[in-house]
Amino acid sequence: MSDKNNKIPFNEDNYTHNIERNNERKLDRRGFMKTLVGAAGVFAVSSLPWGAVAAKELMGLGEKEYPHKKITDVSNLPIGDAVEFKFPGDHDDAILIRLSENKYVAYQNACTHLRCPVFWVKEQGEMICPCHHGKFDVETGAPTAGPPRRPLPEIQVKVENGSIYAVRVKRYEA
Amino acid sequence: MKRRYLGVLILAAILMMNIVFTQYMVHQYYYENYENVLIFGGLNIVLFPLAVFAYKKTINMRA
Repeated sequence: MSDKNNKIPFNEDNYTHNIERNNERKLDRRGFMKTLVGAAGVFAVSSLPWGAVAAKELMGLGEKEYPHKKITDVSNLPIGDAVEFKFPGDHDDAILIRLSENKYVAYQNACTHLRCPVFWVKEQGEMICPCHHGKFDVETGAPTAGPPRRPLPEIQVKVENGSIYAVRVKRYEA
Repeated sequence: MKRRYLGVLILAAILMMNIVFTQYMVHQYYYENYENVLIFGGLNIVLFPLAVFAYKKTINMRA
């Protein structure tokens, strides 16, 4: 007890040494380094959920088939028009576009830049994100202009008895 | 008092790597390359003990 901390400067390797009444807002080198270590810890912890979700996808749990969902009737959708729907979840916006008599394409329409909704512009034949003027190719979902770099996730559709159904979300080829 | 800023430099470099790995991790996730997500996530986690180690090694260094 007696020889504890009676050296000058005493060994101050604890976590509160720089909390002082007079200059408690001062950050010295040691405190700064502790902040850096703490930031590294925050990064480490925050990468855990990404790893968990990725591992889940790798184990094939993300491949599950969603129940087929009716989007609309063929008679309600003239050629060249688009209709918005939700697939697979109630908060996953998607868009279905009828390109010709028998050709339908559907994408999840959250822009791959910052997730603004992407619209179908019939007159220009392009899908456009209004936020930063990103453009997507309607045939493939690939980005053609603006900030987005990744294609829109494509949704497979099926026509049955005059109705259009969303079947599943395609995986990227990459 | 003379000070060594080697520790600060090392920790700043580690933090920079953290940022880069996190960026890669998020992007690879959206590209659906899940192996790469695990690799970069693992690197991010490994950097934390490394940072603690670097702090302990350099904190009592005197010039």
